[in-house]
Amino acid sequence: MKKILAMLLTLCLLLGCCGSLAEGTDGVVINGITYHPAADMTTEPITLTYFHFDQDETVQLLADRFMELYPNITVNVQYENVSTYNSTLLTLVSAGTCPDCIMFSDCDFALSNMLLADISEYWDADPETKNLADTLETAGVGTYMTNARYAVPVKFFPTGMYVDLNVLEALNIEAPSRNWTWADMIKLIKDATVLDSPDGMAYYGCGYYNRLDSYYGIAASQDIIGEFGFDGTDFDLGVWAVGEQEFSDLKLGGYIAPSTETQAMEDWTDDWEAWCGATGHVALFTEAFWTFQNTWNTDEYKQYNLDIVPYVVPAVSEEDASGVHHTIATIDFGGVSTSCEHPREAYELIKFMAFGVDGWKTRCEIYNDETITNKSGLPLKHDVMPCPITKDQDVWNAYIDMFCKGMDEAHVDCWREYFASCMQPIPFGWTSIAGYWNYCDEYFNSIGIHDLVDLGKAKAADYAEEATLKANLYHAQAMLDYFGEDGYDILTEEEVAKYEQMVEDNSI
Amino acid sequence: MTTASAKERIRNEKKARQHVRIKKGKLARREALAGLLFVLPWIIGAIVFLAYPLVTSFTYGLNNIRITPKGYKFKYIGYGNYTQILLSDTAFLPDLADYVISTLISVPVIVVFALLIAMMLNMKIRGRSFFRVIFFLPVIIVSGPILGMLTEQNAGSVSAIDTQAISAAIGSFLPEILAKPVSGLFANMVTILWYSGVPILLFLSGLQKIDSSMYEASYIDGAGGWETFWKITLPQLKNIVLLSCVYTVVFVSSNDNNTLIALIKASMFSGTKEKGYGYASAMAWLYSLVVLLIVGLFALILTTRKDKYEKEARRTDRELRKEARKIRRVQRRQAKHAKRYQRT
Repeated sequence: MKKILAMLLTLCLLLGCCGSLAEGTDGVVINGITYHPAADMTTEPITLTYFHFDQDETVQLLADRFMELYPNITVNVQYENVSTYNSTLLTLVSAGTCPDCIMFSDCDFALSNMLLADISEYWDADPETKNLADTLETAGVGTYMTNARYAVPVKFFPTGMYVDLNVLEALNIEAPSRNWTWADMIKLIKDATVLDSPDGMAYYGCGYYNRLDSYYGIAASQDIIGEFGFDGTDFDLGVWAVGEQEFSDLKLGGYIAPSTETQAMEDWTDDWEAWCGATGHVALFTEAFWTFQNTWNTDEYKQYNLDIVPYVVPAVSEEDASGVHHTIATIDFGGVSTSCEHPREAYELIKFMAFGVDGWKTRCEIYNDETITNKSGLPLKHDVMPCPITKDQDVWNAYIDMFCKGMDEAHVDCWREYFASCMQPIPFGWTSIAGYWNYCDEYFNSIGIHDLVDLGKAKAADYAEEATLKANLYHAQAMLDYFGEDGYDILTEEEVAKYEQMVEDNSI
Repeated sequence: MTTASAKERIRNEKKARQHVRIKKGKLARREALAGLLFVLPWIIGAIVFLAYPLVTSFTYGLNNIRITPKGYKFKYIGYGNYTQILLSDTAFLPDLADYVISTLISVPVIVVFALLIAMMLNMKIRGRSFFRVIFFLPVIIVSGPILGMLTEQNAGSVSAIDTQAISAAIGSFLPEILAKPVSGLFANMVTILWYSGVPILLFLSGLQKIDSSMYEASYIDGAGGWETFWKITLPQLKNIVLLSCVYTVVFVSSNDNNTLIALIKASMFSGTKEKGYGYASAMAWLYSLVVLLIVGLFALILTTRKDKYEKEARRTDRELRKEARKIRRVQRRQAKHAKRYQRT
């Protein structure tokens, strides 16, 4: 009897040690989440290095879970701050210690150094990639207008147009329709600007982090990729110039709230360092997606009496606005490095970290646990949390439940509607178009167009023609450099001829 | 004595000399070896960390380089990087001009400030050691990140100085190319003065080496503080002034806040195909040449010239030697004429 009891106890202990890990009929269950590990992975013990600028604690927890699923794989996570990311990565590459999986922000850096391996084989064979945001395929995101896939979306931040309903109420303005158009937005900005307000502090229509011209190109046309009117082959900055001029006119007209650390801010709030997002006197914000969770949705900001709800970036035409249309989004990409010796396993790792359903279920679990914090003691949910880019409904339900914890039904509906309406993301050009970063770095930003137009010293349209030629030149040259015979060598003769012709046609 | 025996004697003497030399050489070799062993770490360091990187960076400058996970990709382009930097790079030459002007302005300011502080710290005042520590502290803590944080927080300037008003005033009468660096001097007054820690130390050591009897003699002759500074202190510190200038130029040119260093780093990691390590190396070489020219300029201005009397003495000596040669030539000619006269 004693022996049987001892055996039963041992069995119980063993089961207890195994804890929550149990293999179901169609997957592995850990902490109540059913995972579906890939079957065709190596069983040899290997080590993969994941180099990133994501939220470090989250990535480390994800890596731990990945190692639970694949006990033979050791994941070595290396975090590097964005400001020194490229230099550190290139130093590692030059020392012959290139990580297996890498994140990157500007694609020119990654492509010119041939950091990214072609992962089309794994991507095409993966059924989960068919359930991601459609634009990843339709707009060639991560393929750089080639037939190969080099990058996957790692962090997806949709663009939010945040409206403060309390300001609208104070000004007796009706909240705009969820299917608003660009013209509706401009009207709201103008209507909500009341410089001689009865409470003695001016109201402004818009407080900006991103300029409206960055959003305009994609809002104006469903065929455009990036901010500068890129149609997959050519740029047309004429579209951008319309948005640029419109935004500058709003600034000159006094409809845009003053920026931090300016005399205008001092005059408005008596505080040089104030931020318009904390004044309760701005109707619309073009803030980053994460601003809601790491600023407005924190206890500290409850005192400012704001009622922030998200709206999708409006489309210019009513027809586009009535449905789920393309909107610009911040997407950080990643890929498998060309020197990786285990690309299949590395693909699975980056999928888990980035867009995979299993990875996202784990992320939701991590974000839900507010006892897990970053180094500053902030729960991870409030520390630059991205959005799922998969369309998997289970993931989205878990995400929205976690995201909207503590909100009333009306606000949850707002967020649910917003998330549904931003699943046609188009990334910023510098992350997805070859030559774009270099163009901005060496030409566009160096001539100070924004300042000139904002100050009324020039018209945006005056720059459109030359800027278009330059953009085409940089893009065509980059395509030849990166994908021509000195680079990946995947361009056909016709493509080489086409880009060479573009270089010739657009050289000034 | 026959020729053969004479030759044998010379050979023997030579052998004997060689024998002696060998014995001396062993000792000398041992000493040389010991010396070499002492300087070997420096030689190895210089080869590995100076000569090799210099040669490598020069060869990099002649190539277009891409660093891929599969190795370096070199493409020889000769002086292509140099011509592109000088003819097409929109940032390098303007930044270089700003750097040259600001260095030429800020280095004298730093050195003069350091000299004044060193002279004060050399006086017999209470708490002298404490003040010396205070002025040397920036050298210990003035590293790149801290300096960067200071600049970011607008703490690079003295708050009592209205830098905007000064910039506006300077801009009204100086051309833009000069107004910008001069205004920059006021805007970064604190950081510039922070660079003076080491020059203060150099000046202090120089001041302590000046013979006090010179001051005593000058005071007996009726000289005041002003005269002794110009006639004794400054001439005695001339070499230290040069050393401080060279040190300051090198420090200002190589610290992280320098825009050209930032530009070179940005080029190293740029995604543009024509940039990268090769382009950055070429840029660094051009920059180094300019830094060398600035150092040379300060050396030219401050190198101690020879004493006026010594110069005069050498000139007289040269003239005397010339005169002696002339006399010898005349004497030889006279002797030749005398012989010819005797034959006839």
